[in-house]
Amino acid sequence: MTAMLEVRDLRKSYSGVHAVDGVSFDVEQGRITGLIGPNGSGKSTTIDCIAGFQKADSGRVVLGSTDITGRAAHEIARAGLMRTFQTVRVYDRLSLRDNLTIAAQQFDEAKWTDELLRTARYRQAADAAEKRARELIDLVGLTRYYGAEAGILSYGQKKLVALAAALMPRPKIVVLDEPVAGVNPTRIREIEEVLQRLNAAGETFLIVEHNVEFITNLCHHVVVLDQGRKLAEGTAADIHTDARVLEAYLGMTPEMAEAEMRGAA
Amino acid sequence: MTTDRMRAVAIVAVALLLGALPWLTTSNYILGIAVSAAIFTVSAAALNLIYGYTGLLSFAQLGFWGIGGYATALTVMTFGGNFWLGLLWAGLLNAALALLIGYPTLRTGRHTFVIVTLTFALLVSLITRDWVDLTRGPLGIANLTPPSLFGFWFDTTARFYWVAWAYAMLALGFLYVLCTSRIGRTLVAIKQNEPLVRAQGISPMPYKLAAFAVSAAITGMAGGIFCFHLKVIDPLFLDFYYMQTFLIMVIVGGAGSFWGVVIAGIAMSALPEILRFSDDFRMIIYGAILLIAMLVMPGGFAGWLHERKLSRMRAALQQ
Repeated sequence: MTAMLEVRDLRKSYSGVHAVDGVSFDVEQGRITGLIGPNGSGKSTTIDCIAGFQKADSGRVVLGSTDITGRAAHEIARAGLMRTFQTVRVYDRLSLRDNLTIAAQQFDEAKWTDELLRTARYRQAADAAEKRARELIDLVGLTRYYGAEAGILSYGQKKLVALAAALMPRPKIVVLDEPVAGVNPTRIREIEEVLQRLNAAGETFLIVEHNVEFITNLCHHVVVLDQGRKLAEGTAADIHTDARVLEAYLGMTPEMAEAEMRGAA
Repeated sequence: MTTDRMRAVAIVAVALLLGALPWLTTSNYILGIAVSAAIFTVSAAALNLIYGYTGLLSFAQLGFWGIGGYATALTVMTFGGNFWLGLLWAGLLNAALALLIGYPTLRTGRHTFVIVTLTFALLVSLITRDWVDLTRGPLGIANLTPPSLFGFWFDTTARFYWVAWAYAMLALGFLYVLCTSRIGRTLVAIKQNEPLVRAQGISPMPYKLAAFAVSAAITGMAGGIFCFHLKVIDPLFLDFYYMQTFLIMVIVGGAGSFWGVVIAGIAMSALPEILRFSDDFRMIIYGAILLIAMLVMPGGFAGWLHERKLSRMRAALQQ
């Protein structure tokens, strides 16, 4: 196993409050890694620091073989890390096609002069991007909306558009910030299936999420944060039986969890 | 013929027809309005690039307009250059100034940008009045020599119209290519969702700076041409009236729509003149039309069309 993303001793504090307090973990290539924890445990700050949306006070982040510590967000994206946002972000006034092709434009050969002069290189890049956009829109099941503006979609559908856009440049890793928060249960199943299919095709994911069932179904490896520190990590099954995790995250003792499991069975 | 090609042919036909205006009318009054329409439309389109597309409300346009006017006039009247050199100078100087103001200001918020650009415009206005040695102060520079090219003098309104027309076609053509390219789409994306743009590997700063500089250069050269139409330049050239005119054209046309603003530019130049039949109530009617337009079409003309298209699309998708 090779680590696609290495996070080492990441620290970030806001006026004395340690939001992230020495977090280290790896995201293995070709696997889905989950990052969970109660509200305020530092999940969002952690991925903001990884993706360059906030500057970590110290620590190291390595993507593949590239040290991306402290780089600007757009540089980290160019290095191959694409992210989505907790509150869904799409371009409401652009078509789904444009929402996707714009996410790939920084990664092709066309320069701004090609764009203004509409050279063959520009058309080639644009055609390739459009082809990929169509494939991804088909994959997430929004084919009939391809030419429509993203603004007319439901919240859950926008989450799918954001996911498809993140996949456009064939990134090394996709970081999803709460991909199913605020999404209705049928749509959650749909997103789950899409992610499984993508992962089967070799995509690497790091997912921050509150929905424990979603994480349990999807993730090969789960990292649990609490109060800015890593509390535990392991497979979903390991995490479910970890006393500290149950205490911090679910507010339950192992006995209560066991009773609940029995009740569910 | 495809619809794209038909549209292209139609646009070229209209452009050529507009170019033939001096053969269609001998009225200096109409040709004068046409010069204003051409120059104001270009300036509105330039404001549309930075405000409508990129979402940055720039009042500096008025400053660029004034600097462009003075740079061209001074090149001809004081420094012994010709009109075309003056225009080039106006464009370059304004682009450089835009980069200089934009670089520190665009790092901060959109509101800061509005205030800094407004301050810039007021400062330019002050300088034109008080730097008497250079600008000749409130007296201004009168009797601007008309431009000439290869021995042809653009010395009548009909002839000067061609200068304004040619510039409008070039500038609008360039802006159209820019706005419909991926660059234009990126500007719209920056306006809509800057964090997402950054997450997609695009650095917004160079785009914003480029849009501001292009907008400044085009507005400055428009100012340079317009003062030679007036044949005089004085501090009144920085009257807020001009800024207001460009802004109204952008808002009525629909910020972020290329054709919306071009059509509004032409219509709003003609409207006050059409209303001359009732001299007493002219400005009242003009104001009422503006007010009603804004109440009925808050997103401008293009925004109104767009809303209708969207509701049709929603209805179609619900079936």
